[in-house]
Amino acid sequence: MNKRRLIKGLERIVGRGAVLHHPDDLLVFEYDGSVDRAAPTAVVFPTSTHEVSDVVALAHREGIPVVPRGAGTGLSGGSIAVEGGIEIALTRMRRILKIDAANRIAIVEPGLVNLDLSQATARFGLFFAPDPSSQRACTIGGNVAENAGGPHCLRYGVTTNHVIGLEVVLEDGSVVSLGDRFLGWPGYDLVGAFVGSEGTMGVVTRVVARLLPVPQAVRTLLAVFPTVDQASSAVSRVIGSGMVPTALEMMDSLAIKAADASVHAGYPKEAGAVLLVEVDGLTEAVEEEAAEVQQVCERHQPIEIRTATDPLEREKLWAARKGVLGALGHLAPNYSMGDGTVPRTRLPEVMARVGEISKEFGLPIANVLHAGDGNLHPAVLFDERNPDETRRAYEAGGEILKLCVEVGGALTGEHGIGLEKQEYMPLMFSADDLEAMAGLKVAFGTGDLLNPGKIFPTGKSLPGASQSAAVGRAGAGAYI
Amino acid sequence: MTVTDVKALAEALTNAVGPENVMHETAGYSIDGAVPSIVVLPKSIESLSSAMAAASEFGAATAPWGGGTRMALGNTIQRLDVVADLSGLDRVVQHTPGDLTVTVEAGVTLARLQETLREHSQFLGLDPPLPQRATVGGTLATAVSGPAKWQYMSPRDVVIGMKVVSADGTVTKSGGQVVKNVSGYDMSRLHVGGLGTLGIIVEVSFKLTPTPRREATLLASYPSTTDCLKASLEIFGSQVVPLGMATLDSAANERAGVASVDDARLLAVRLAGRPMTLDRQLRDSTAICRDAGAAAVERLDDDAAASLWRRVSDFGWDERTAPTIGCRASLVPSALPEVVADLEQIGTSLGLTPAIVCHPAHGTVLAHWFAQDGSVGTGGLTAMLSAAGDSVRGAAGHMVIDRCPAEVKAGLDVFGDAGDSLPIMKSLKEQYDPGNLLNPGRYAGRI
Ligand SMILES: Cc1cc2nc3c(=O)[nH]c(=O)nc-3n(C[C@H](O)[C@H](O)[C@H](O)COP(=O)(O)OP(=O)(O)OC[C@H]3O[C@@H](n4cnc5c(N)ncnc54)[C@H](O)[C@@H]3O)c2cc1C
Repeated sequence: MNKRRLIKGLERIVGRGAVLHHPDDLLVFEYDGSVDRAAPTAVVFPTSTHEVSDVVALAHREGIPVVPRGAGTGLSGGSIAVEGGIEIALTRMRRILKIDAANRIAIVEPGLVNLDLSQATARFGLFFAPDPSSQRACTIGGNVAENAGGPHCLRYGVTTNHVIGLEVVLEDGSVVSLGDRFLGWPGYDLVGAFVGSEGTMGVVTRVVARLLPVPQAVRTLLAVFPTVDQASSAVSRVIGSGMVPTALEMMDSLAIKAADASVHAGYPKEAGAVLLVEVDGLTEAVEEEAAEVQQVCERHQPIEIRTATDPLEREKLWAARKGVLGALGHLAPNYSMGDGTVPRTRLPEVMARVGEISKEFGLPIANVLHAGDGNLHPAVLFDERNPDETRRAYEAGGEILKLCVEVGGALTGEHGIGLEKQEYMPLMFSADDLEAMAGLKVAFGTGDLLNPGKIFPTGKSLPGASQSAAVGRAGAGAYI
Repeated sequence: MTVTDVKALAEALTNAVGPENVMHETAGYSIDGAVPSIVVLPKSIESLSSAMAAASEFGAATAPWGGGTRMALGNTIQRLDVVADLSGLDRVVQHTPGDLTVTVEAGVTLARLQETLREHSQFLGLDPPLPQRATVGGTLATAVSGPAKWQYMSPRDVVIGMKVVSADGTVTKSGGQVVKNVSGYDMSRLHVGGLGTLGIIVEVSFKLTPTPRREATLLASYPSTTDCLKASLEIFGSQVVPLGMATLDSAANERAGVASVDDARLLAVRLAGRPMTLDRQLRDSTAICRDAGAAAVERLDDDAAASLWRRVSDFGWDERTAPTIGCRASLVPSALPEVVADLEQIGTSLGLTPAIVCHPAHGTVLAHWFAQDGSVGTGGLTAMLSAAGDSVRGAAGHMVIDRCPAEVKAGLDVFGDAGDSLPIMKSLKEQYDPGNLLNPGRYAGRI
């Protein structure tokens, strides 16, 4: 099918105003939050399941690859066009179809922005727990596809724990519903199998999301430590002594330095690491848990501890943590950010190793961590204009990934495999493991048209990653 | 087709797992009356893998077997040659208390696992019936837990990694030992609730929860089922997050022996937390229970509470309380009062006694019917089940038959209708067990 006829066909389905195909219009759809970029032939904006189904069916008949796309904030290349195919942008399907407060569920379209859901359910005293730092921009459909987490998933779990039903369009355009408004659908847990499939098993057109009660009270505690080691030990200690705070975040000295320069948090000069701990729930629970967290932190000789309960004060404590990403630009023109996860007790040792890797490769590494779940975001700083530095940055990132796997961890905690980490998959999985995974996609009817060429290794050399360009799209208030 | 050359099969399996790990006396391993020709008891994953490789060469139909507590679940098995008893896979592979994670082999019983964890003030948020016998593998394969569910999480939510042996003996893994991980597809989801039809679960990593500092249970009794359920739904709608919650009607109470109150519907709420938090939750819950018309609200601690929850969870599964028919309905919680009122009437004209337990926050109804031995025929039971199914579907819910006589089972799909996702389920089976060797026919849609 030539391009003109394809565009005509798509326009017949979704209307003229809902197909972009001029190269200028396509520019912003060439990339997501990762380094890769590729131009789609066209981007379509369907407004109903029916339209999605027709578009996918047309592509299927004509053998044209299709890539679903939410807000494009993904950090692993998931929504990047492939082989001149089309992108299906779900951003015009953003209605909340139902809020059933009595049963604590909401039924929504996939293009709904994550934060908009919690804002809409707030008047019922409910919220949607997964809160990726990009929540002002990213879509629920994208969250389902990436099984997104967020700083508060330590306590509440990630997207898969909060999605119980889906409507999806398969590669041939057929529409199926998976799960229901409650758990207990007979047969295999197809919803669970689908969540985290990175747009390779179907286009999500409807989501049944679980909601939780908005906690009565929240308290944030910020502890400044002289060294990363002390902060990491405090993390292990908090978890080990029977507490599961809502959030447990960490920054190292370089990250602190970067953030402090832009948000002026006023940390002591000798700050080597900052821990940010949040507890929420019943007023009594918050009081009791916060007191214990503070005791544990004090045992690890902090330089200072600050606490806050009212929203404005808490926001101040979070400011540096949330500002890190934007501030990295002050330190270097580019950074390459990892997302590995390690067992929490291995954090002190892993952080020390990351420091050594930084020295070995001669590049600074700033660390922000969802420390409570052992999820690292090391940012290797470099200058893209220097090819040797660029190569070393990517190699250093690769070393850190290998380190994570070596200590029993994982390649990615929340950003997904996509195009970025696919070649690293054999570090974690055997050929048999990967073949079994590939079978899942086949069972959902995916051949080589739905987001092909991602997740699974292709045998190419190990690539690198730099996301510095990306963050803009997540909008004001986004952080990592 | 059943394997005809049983002798050759037995020889191959004996070679695979060693003569000390095969059993030819197999009567104790019957599934709805079907008896295997041979039972293997592998002591390691490698040995199970060799056994499966050998069995699949013969096209032998194999059923994995954990503690045998839930073998009543599932449709009539089409063929049965081999039972793989996994109780020998009983190692706690790794428990790192500081990580709040544990990795165990599938044959470890829940009781043993919880005991190991308790020493470190941790627990796994799974509470199946008969934990002394129920294994990790069987509990996950049936995806049925008891009333205790930390923060409303279900079995699928506590698994972070899994190793599986496929029908042909291939060993694969997914996930890992970290609590947050999106590296590749989450294959474990297929096996949790998959009834061992896509692979045999052999090793599992879980995320754990710290044991709460304090715990107490409230037991409220009500003159009417409606008020009892209403109270439970109000607790679900409040800020209180119970560790477990269940309601029992008077028949269930009498049979389970939970409380010595006559003709009362009971609501049990298991609460936990640090001292002030627990007090607050007890206060709030007590007030809700009383406002909904409780005749009495009692607090139980320690052994009394533990024994109550054990009875509630085991009800319908131990020999003493096993019903003629056991069903599990899933609904939106708000539909519970209407459906339970309906179910309480069904079967009574035939002389069946219903006994109903609910896990209200999950919208789960566990309905049991008891008949005098043989007093109700297959036709009557089938009609009763279809009435119950209609009632549940009328409220847009689903019903799975957990237990019924083999003759009744032969005529129906105990899982009900899997809807338009059935074709995907069938292609999953095609992908992972193309020879249809694992528990053939027992699953939804007779997969
Ligand atoms: C500043 C910043 C902070 C971030 N913080 C976090 C964080 O804390 N935690 C976290 O987990 N992630 C985080 N991310 C990553 C990203 O925001 C999440 O992965 C998010 O879920 C992606 O949503 P999206 O709508 O932007 O999806 P896209 O980027 O548009 O797509 C992501 C993937 O989902 C697929 N997809 C999108 N919509 C659908 C659909 N309807 N059906 C099927 N497939 C679909 C795409 O094909 C692609 O594979 C962050 C990103 C940025 C830029």
